[in-house]
Amino acid sequence: MRISIRMIGIATTVFWVFLIAFAVSAVYSVKDVQFDFGEPQSYLDSDNNMVFSLPVVIFNRGYYNIGFFNVTTEISDEVGGVISQGTTFIPVIRKGEETTILHNITIDVTDLIGENQNFLFNDTDLRMYGAVGMRLAEMIPVQASMNFSMPWGAPLYGFALGTPQYSPFNATHSRVSVPINFENHAFFDLAGDIQLSMFNSADQLIGGGQTAVAAYQNSPYSGIVDIYVLTTGVTASGHFDVSFSSPLFNCGPWVISYG
Amino acid sequence: MADTNSDSHHNLRRLAFKIVKATIKGAIFYGIYFFLSGFLTPITELLPGFMQMIETFVIIYIVLMIIGELTSGTIYQHFFNAAKALFVISYLLLSLRGGVFGMTFENVSLMIDLRLFLMIATLLGLVGLAKTVLQAINYMNEKACPTNT
Repeated sequence: MRISIRMIGIATTVFWVFLIAFAVSAVYSVKDVQFDFGEPQSYLDSDNNMVFSLPVVIFNRGYYNIGFFNVTTEISDEVGGVISQGTTFIPVIRKGEETTILHNITIDVTDLIGENQNFLFNDTDLRMYGAVGMRLAEMIPVQASMNFSMPWGAPLYGFALGTPQYSPFNATHSRVSVPINFENHAFFDLAGDIQLSMFNSADQLIGGGQTAVAAYQNSPYSGIVDIYVLTTGVTASGHFDVSFSSPLFNCGPWVISYG
Repeated sequence: MADTNSDSHHNLRRLAFKIVKATIKGAIFYGIYFFLSGFLTPITELLPGFMQMIETFVIIYIVLMIIGELTSGTIYQHFFNAAKALFVISYLLLSLRGGVFGMTFENVSLMIDLRLFLMIATLLGLVGLAKTVLQAINYMNEKACPTNT
């Protein structure tokens, strides 16, 4: 019995030594793993979706491979509704290897604005959740996560129609000039058309017009839409139905009163 | 009278030998800890309480080891060895909080899942406990039948 007990003791000791050596070396090798997060880029892809791109460079100088490396980001609005999420996964980063990944997260602007027009007219903050997970030595799962906010600039910030200016056009029609003002706070240039439909106080459509809009990012825009209306239909008050269409997104109509 | 003196002298030598053996074992164990603790520096920067936790473990383990060594040849040795094995298991389970470590630094949350490590370590601890029980049974067996060795 003594021999068998001794053998159990030797086997246990060997396993303990192996386990402790592995755990210590795995922890120690963490200091030799280097992560470099590059400058995030944002651009529009071929489908006119907004893409945020984050380059990540991982240099594994540790003693072991890193397994199941993944980067996850989730963008949500102020009330926690998920707008978009993206995951980038690498099965193995071998020891001594340098790996560069490009983590992309795509936002469909049409969906974003369609769900909440607040994004169109008001600057706000988007909530962002980011997590980096991996398995040290392909065995020990580790995850770091963080929450932060990202400013969202409204593409039609402070959109307003000025007082309509009436001028006679011919015997039956008048020209109504409607000033348009807004600031493009978005990180992309805005190019599209603004359509205006004019309704009188009896809610009758009396005319419509449109104008092409081009507003660079972080710049104000001022323009005029000319609408030709039947002079007899014009009333002192009424409302405009405003729509905006662009390759990036379409929105409207929204109602703005006049008079 | 001469026999009593000889027995006393023999007992003293045995005790001295046990003390020296316990001291050497304790010193070796502490030396290994001292050597390995240098490798744990990266994690101690992240977890300030981690080194304290390991130090407490090492101190209690060495104390139990020394007491077990001093009481070797008696039934108490097996009690202390069993206590040592149980201490390893319970300390791992309690200090590693089920194997999932979570901590927050400012805005960043870090999670380390050591459940696999904990499971293996607990199993090895249980094997150590089983070995101690077998040793105690063997000891009692030898006491009952001195010729049956």
